Amino acid sequence: MAEPYMIDSDINFIKEIGILGAEDLKKCYQCATCSVACPISPDSHPFPRKEMIAASWGLKDRLVGNADIWLCHNCGDCSTHCPREAKPADVLAALRSYAITDYAVPKKLAKMVNDPKKLPVLLGIPVVLFLALGLILKMFGIHWLNFSPGGDEIAHAKFFSTWLVDLIFIPAFIFAVAVFFIGVKRFLSDIHQNALMEGKTDKEKIDPVGFVQALGRVIPTILKHRKFSECTENRERSTAHMMVLYGFIGLFVVTNIFFVTLYVFQIHGPYSQLNPVKWLANVAGVALVIGGLLMVKSRFDKPDQSTTYKDWSLIGLVLALGLTGMLTEMTRLAGAAGLTYFIYFIHLVFVFCLFVYVPYSKLAHLVYRTLAMTYAEYSNRK
Amino acid sequence: MTENKKASGSGSIMVVGGGISGLTAALEAAEVGYEVFLVEKNPYLGGRVSQLNQYFPKLCPPTCGLEINYRRIKDNPLVHTFTLAEIANVDGEPGNYKVSVKLNPRFINTNCTACNECVAVCPAERNNEFNFGMDMTKAVYLPFEMAFPTRYVIDPVACHGVDCGKCVDVCKYDAIELEMKEKTIDLQVGSIIWATGWTPYDATRMDNLGFGQYPNIVTNMMLERLASKNGPTAGVIQRPSDKKAPESIAFVQCAGSRDENYLPYCSYICCMASLKHATYIREQYPDAKVYIFYIDLRAPGQRYEKFYDKIKEDENVFFIKGKVAEVIENPDNNNITVVAENAVTGEKVKQEVEMVVLATGMQPTAALSKLSADLKISEDGFMINDFDKGGMFAAGCANKPADVVSSNQNATGMALKAIQTLVNR
Repeated sequence: MAEPYMIDSDINFIKEIGILGAEDLKKCYQCATCSVACPISPDSHPFPRKEMIAASWGLKDRLVGNADIWLCHNCGDCSTHCPREAKPADVLAALRSYAITDYAVPKKLAKMVNDPKKLPVLLGIPVVLFLALGLILKMFGIHWLNFSPGGDEIAHAKFFSTWLVDLIFIPAFIFAVAVFFIGVKRFLSDIHQNALMEGKTDKEKIDPVGFVQALGRVIPTILKHRKFSECTENRERSTAHMMVLYGFIGLFVVTNIFFVTLYVFQIHGPYSQLNPVKWLANVAGVALVIGGLLMVKSRFDKPDQSTTYKDWSLIGLVLALGLTGMLTEMTRLAGAAGLTYFIYFIHLVFVFCLFVYVPYSKLAHLVYRTLAMTYAEYSNRK
Repeated sequence: MTENKKASGSGSIMVVGGGISGLTAALEAAEVGYEVFLVEKNPYLGGRVSQLNQYFPKLCPPTCGLEINYRRIKDNPLVHTFTLAEIANVDGEPGNYKVSVKLNPRFINTNCTACNECVAVCPAERNNEFNFGMDMTKAVYLPFEMAFPTRYVIDPVACHGVDCGKCVDVCKYDAIELEMKEKTIDLQVGSIIWATGWTPYDATRMDNLGFGQYPNIVTNMMLERLASKNGPTAGVIQRPSDKKAPESIAFVQCAGSRDENYLPYCSYICCMASLKHATYIREQYPDAKVYIFYIDLRAPGQRYEKFYDKIKEDENVFFIKGKVAEVIENPDNNNITVVAENAVTGEKVKQEVEMVVLATGMQPTAALSKLSADLKISEDGFMINDFDKGGMFAAGCANKPADVVSSNQNATGMALKAIQTLVNR
């Protein structure tokens, strides 16, 4: 028999993950069908059976810092085969959502991002910030926010100067990186401790060189969605996810190229539609919108799968970014000056949301899942 | 036990289903003096029990107990038995029911002496469903050696009919009537006991467990037939693909039971059945390894628990806590690898075995075919007894999954309920 184990049950934790989508958790009777049904679960200490019992016992510490909840790609094969309809896939999704909040600082902002009632406040923050900063600068004679841009050619920078954009967005980006840095440091230490305790690793310490090498091996897996395509259920989700991921990557590349073009070569936009970077931008924008719509469709097609605020808010953000971005461009080309400046403003609000709220939202999986997969690769998880 | 009393209440009782519950209910009512009509859809009585090799936990043959019941029926003029009979309609109210019973033709009359001459000449064959299709019989056949009534029967689908008539020519007793027609009779009864029993759950529905895809995966009821002296292999347990004596066998518990995708309830008997099957195998093959994959093992009551404890001591029987959720066939030798997570060690188990037995559950017959009577049926097909209304009662596995002992106790109780309907009318 195993050593006696004193259970330190956190009742509130059980309640909170219930709200996040794990409401059927207690139906589980530990048959372990899920661990076998899962096409990507390892042979030794497979998930999600052990997560199901730990969650129903309220063993928060065993779950929040458990890399396995991130190895899950939420394909739902486990939920389909579950004889109790306990929905292990949804439980793991809820645990991930909980973990994101747990690793984020400040907690207050994390709570707000996951609370639908706080959405107007969160959207209001960038609006107020943009306007306030623009007006304060005006008092000092710096007209970076110009409400009557005029001129023959529509250029968004005439309304909302690129200086003002970068004055806000570079700190916002640094903020997100800093918040992630704090979270990731604790996360890596926790998942390593958890792996040592559960015997899931053959490494004593995390060696930075080996870890980075493992990351190099994991990135192609992520880019090719190899794990995703092992799923039986929900496989079509892989296409939508790939479109959104590549959409974001494409737009990130475009932003950086134009950043350099602007500051190094001093060439201002708007750029010609014939410019290949512009092509990339358009393709990426369209991919974002279509991927987002496919995600909405697959959520509606799967009424069994729980879809909570954390899911809708991220899909909503993806669509809002893509649509406002594309519409900004289209209204500019159509010559609708007032409209295009207005939509551009809204677009900037959503970009702000993307940067500042990402460490607290479901999108943080970009960082945590990548690291968990890297750790599994590094520690030879089999 | 066999003396003929006349009861104080008036009216007759109908018992639908001649399995162990129906036999018990019919006999208990008849032996206190009530006239009973026992209606059975098969050509023989005994139901599922007659397909078993041994009872748990005493490991004695069920035919022994059945024979005693048949003796009691033969000696009791108050029991009227109808085989190949189905309920066509039930009208009326407690104390006064008119039941239409459809009698399917047997094509063999009471002259039959079971001499077997007809079988020798019969050119047509049929799948033997008594042995779950593991062998064939002729179109004219005796369902099994111990079948009661001991009369042959002709399968009208397989039989070539009057054009052939070889059996008619050879029968010295004029027992064969190929032009026998079905008929319907009306019976007046005061109460009805539904003992319609159960059907093994269709194992092909769990596509991840490979039944029907791989030959060496059988069901628990098939194993009963394989282990029975009157079964398709004369009692030798062998795997279907190559008739080899299996050196390793895995049991998959809860195959389709306690599963919201299939049967949401526990079928009650499968744990004890698999433990019993382990004894069949271990007795025939002293070196064979038995792996039992389970979620929870349920051995209710002191006698069953003792039985389980005894099996646990066997060093060739291995218990693995984890449900089999995947099976893989090795195409070279037809061995099967069952995959489960051992929830105690937290490691995935991939056990290759020569044969797999799915411990499939019981589905009430009423879930599969609608009965022509005003009955309350649960979502899963079990009849819900309405004792306030009275008149009609469910007994045995028509009411809930049960073993033979509880079925008999329950059937006795329902016989009393049926009598109360007559007396209190």
